[in-house]
Amino acid sequence: MKPFFAQIERDLLIAWQNRQDLGVMLVFFVIIIALFPLAIGANATVLDPLGVPVIWIAALLAILAGFDRLFAQDVRDGWLDQIALSQLGLGWYALAKAISHWLTAGIPLLIMTPLMAMMLNIPSQQWPPLLIALLIGSMGLTLLGVIGAALAEGARRGTALMALLILPLAVPLLIFGTLASQSDRGIISPHLMLLGAVFALLLALAPLVAASALEIGETETGL
Amino acid sequence: MFDYFANPSRFIRIANRLLLPLVILSLSTGVIGLYFGLFVAPADYQQGDTVRIIYIHVPSAWLALFGYVGLGLCGLFYVVWRHPLADIAARAIAPVGAVFALLTLVTGALWGKPMWGAWWVWDARLTSMLILFFFYLGFIALSNGFDRAERGSRPAALLALVGMINVPIVKFSVDWWNTLHQPASLLRSDGPAIDSSMLTPLVLTLIAAHAYFAILVILRMRALLTERRLAALTLRPGGE
Repeated sequence: MKPFFAQIERDLLIAWQNRQDLGVMLVFFVIIIALFPLAIGANATVLDPLGVPVIWIAALLAILAGFDRLFAQDVRDGWLDQIALSQLGLGWYALAKAISHWLTAGIPLLIMTPLMAMMLNIPSQQWPPLLIALLIGSMGLTLLGVIGAALAEGARRGTALMALLILPLAVPLLIFGTLASQSDRGIISPHLMLLGAVFALLLALAPLVAASALEIGETETGL
Repeated sequence: MFDYFANPSRFIRIANRLLLPLVILSLSTGVIGLYFGLFVAPADYQQGDTVRIIYIHVPSAWLALFGYVGLGLCGLFYVVWRHPLADIAARAIAPVGAVFALLTLVTGALWGKPMWGAWWVWDARLTSMLILFFFYLGFIALSNGFDRAERGSRPAALLALVGMINVPIVKFSVDWWNTLHQPASLLRSDGPAIDSSMLTPLVLTLIAAHAYFAILVILRMRALLTERRLAALTLRPGGE
């Protein structure tokens, strides 16, 4: 387990060195949310029911936008080759990437969410289900982003391609996430359990898919 | 058995032999089915003549789903056994399936406007079919997204496998959710829920569409195999 944590530590360190990127991601999140009232109009009867969906859409876009070239640097400087040769293995490497990315993007986003919920007039009794659902949802989206980044690594126009691959896959998370956030049957709603099930599936699937996609990239670009 | 059929030149020989019977089958069932469907079958007692679009809509929808299952199976064969022919087949299927998915959406919209009063509703069946269409586009974009075509094969195969999750969702969306789209009428445990005067042309057009799908895929696979062979011939050893 030591190389696994070393990998996470390394990525957290790199994220800290580039902490300006984190600010960009958060501003992106806030701006998307601010655009909705501008487009829809400030009418509270129209805008208020849209609060939770708007936060979800903004979170989805902000998290996935951060995956642009997740593996690019590691491919370029040969880190990925070393990982493939090491005892860590590409699957654990992908999982470590997901964890460090969630810690540096998902957590700040969650901290930011109550402020946004306040601005969107979401009643405070809705905050706990929203935050719990967004907690699980952001982890699921992060795993999807790892899949997308691994599949599109090395492709031309990788960013746009990644969005095309990942957004359709994000549909179950979005559906169950928004339903769970708006649940009036307490925090542990059936939709939250379904959201958790999707997350569990992704947790099992994402490292395998990402490792398989990176493996071929690693052998082919290594030539 | 897979090894036997997976030899590209043997595959082409067998496919070439199948091509003519498939064309005859597709043309004959298609012409007869459409004739009966458009002229002989009675108009629906509620929907009038608009129901006749079913002879295009249902076969397209079946093939869009069937094509995606094919894509997923090819993905599985490619990821597990790394067989190049599975990759060729997937690349051949994807655009054909995408067009059938688009055709399903367009004919559905044309049918929905007079019946439901809207071109589009955000109904589970419609939305999941739209997402299936996006998966096809994602597969096509990813498989052609790399500078060297073969480099895209593995990621695209993995995407096809992951996207298989959507197939049962599309198929069973009408049973799981209470939707505007009607539930399945053909494949149900108590037998088809369509009168035989409409069922016969529908089954004929279904056969025609499947044969047509097979013809297109064979032609595209042949072209792709020839392209690969050409590329291999012109490629100097040692250079890329």
